[in-house]
Amino acid sequence: MGTATGIIRALNSGIKHMAIKRFTLRYPEEKLKFVGDGYQFDPSTGVGIAGLKGRHMLFHDHCTGCQLCSIACEGVAEAIAMVKVPEEQKQNKKSIMPQIDYGKCVFCGLCVDACPFYALYMTNDYELSSFSKEGLIYTPAQLAVKPYVAQDSEIQITARGATHG
Amino acid sequence: MATEIMPGLALQKVDERIMTLNVGPQHPGSGHMRIVVQIDGDYIVACDPDPGYVHRGEEKMAEYRNYITNIPHLERPVIHDSCNVLYPYVLGAEELLGIEVPERAKYVRVIASELNRCIYIMYWLAIYGIFLGHSTMFMWPAGDREFLIDLMEKMSGARVTHAHFVPGGVRNDLPANFEDVCLRHVNYFEKRIKEYAAVFYDNPILISRTQDTGVLSKHDAIRLGTTGSVLRASGVDYDLRIKEPYDVYDELDIHTNVMKEGDAYARSRIPWLDMLESCNIIRQALQKMPKSGSVRTKLKPNPKTKGPATVYKRVESGRGSLGCYIVSDGKTEPYRLKLSVPSFRNLIALPHLLKGEKLGNMPSVYWSLNYWPVEADR
Ligand code: SF4
Ligand code: SF4
Repeated sequence: MGTATGIIRALNSGIKHMAIKRFTLRYPEEKLKFVGDGYQFDPSTGVGIAGLKGRHMLFHDHCTGCQLCSIACEGVAEAIAMVKVPEEQKQNKKSIMPQIDYGKCVFCGLCVDACPFYALYMTNDYELSSFSKEGLIYTPAQLAVKPYVAQDSEIQITARGATHG
Repeated sequence: MATEIMPGLALQKVDERIMTLNVGPQHPGSGHMRIVVQIDGDYIVACDPDPGYVHRGEEKMAEYRNYITNIPHLERPVIHDSCNVLYPYVLGAEELLGIEVPERAKYVRVIASELNRCIYIMYWLAIYGIFLGHSTMFMWPAGDREFLIDLMEKMSGARVTHAHFVPGGVRNDLPANFEDVCLRHVNYFEKRIKEYAAVFYDNPILISRTQDTGVLSKHDAIRLGTTGSVLRASGVDYDLRIKEPYDVYDELDIHTNVMKEGDAYARSRIPWLDMLESCNIIRQALQKMPKSGSVRTKLKPNPKTKGPATVYKRVESGRGSLGCYIVSDGKTEPYRLKLSVPSFRNLIALPHLLKGEKLGNMPSVYWSLNYWPVEADR
């Protein structure tokens, strides 16, 4: 193949792309849809359930304050601290529950694997930015809130190229 | 030439004609490393790669963490190839802990590691494109990676650092309907990367810049201990997935890509051919995978090895053979962990390749070595 034909072929291949659909996602107007409600773990079988490893969710009625999640995180990021829960909130025997510092967390989900009481799961919420470091520390009360997620965009493959529809 | 005037302090005589040039460590064309080149006019007379700017002490860190909590930090050296970086460690830990892996988990691992290989190569290719000033070749791979990242995110729940492999299998089962989505994305991805031929690999401008530059002969490739795509571009048919199959690679029909030229063009083309091959492997694995079954052998939270033992496992990563040597003294943490990384082994060839080359050819030769600075420094 000659040099000229090669260059024309390369240009032609690029020009074809003007006719195909836009692939990029218009975040934050559009958001990607994930499978399931976030990463969960079933201690009875020892296998997780697929889902996004996002912000955690703590179920106060299940948490016994056993600290296993905090111990699991010690070797990873030391993001979990066990803190006293205020009197007016739901209590467990030890009155302690995990508080997670998202400035340190690497979203590995090993704490979820460690919790034997179905108390700690992960959710689809990944928008955790804050103007201060303290804003990244989520107390047990904040962790109990189910996040509001409006995610509906998925990759669609059509004859005219792929797009986030 | 250098005379030592005091211990550790050497005075070097310099030739009037020779100029020393520091490329990096903040240079966009070097990654997190420095290449000290000595140039005579436009020609490189000597080159001294200086890695180590992103040393993280991964090996030392591994001695203080147990076999499970080692997972998240050991995949950091190459986050784009995180499944393949973890693979030898997980295989080694399984042998030390004496656990079996369910059949389905082995297939899931193969799919994950092939997807990760493509994700890594696409990133590498995007950077190779921009190193050569081909901005289209930066945009396309960066965009087309998305299909595979989306698959990995569905599979493992994380887009880049998956922490998906664990001694005993994988962390979670595949989501419902994954096989169909995977097949659809991989087929489209394959169609897309085939389009790169016209715009990049058959492009006369790329060919004129990379052909016959930085030629590494077959003899030298073996002598210098290079691995992976660099070795295969020099005509040595060596792929660990075939030579030392791990998990279920021996049940799959794998074809290696070998080119004889050994120049920068061959080294840039081999990873692309590898991606096409990976698409085939993924399709085969999806077909042969048991449709149901366990994916993880249950393990205690803080597992202990059976006793003092050593193990060495290696896998074919996106860059070449990646080994992990674990010494265990029967405790819950490894006594010593050593990673033998392909990036560092390929870097050794750089001074050899750059000698006599024009300075302008440095980026194309350097990045064609399939080198990842963070992995070399660990
Ligand atoms: S996800 Fe990982 S890093 Fe984050 S709190 Fe849990 S164990 Fe720690
Ligand atoms: S979240 Fe689970 S592991 Fe953590 S303290 Fe509560 S019950 Fe224990």
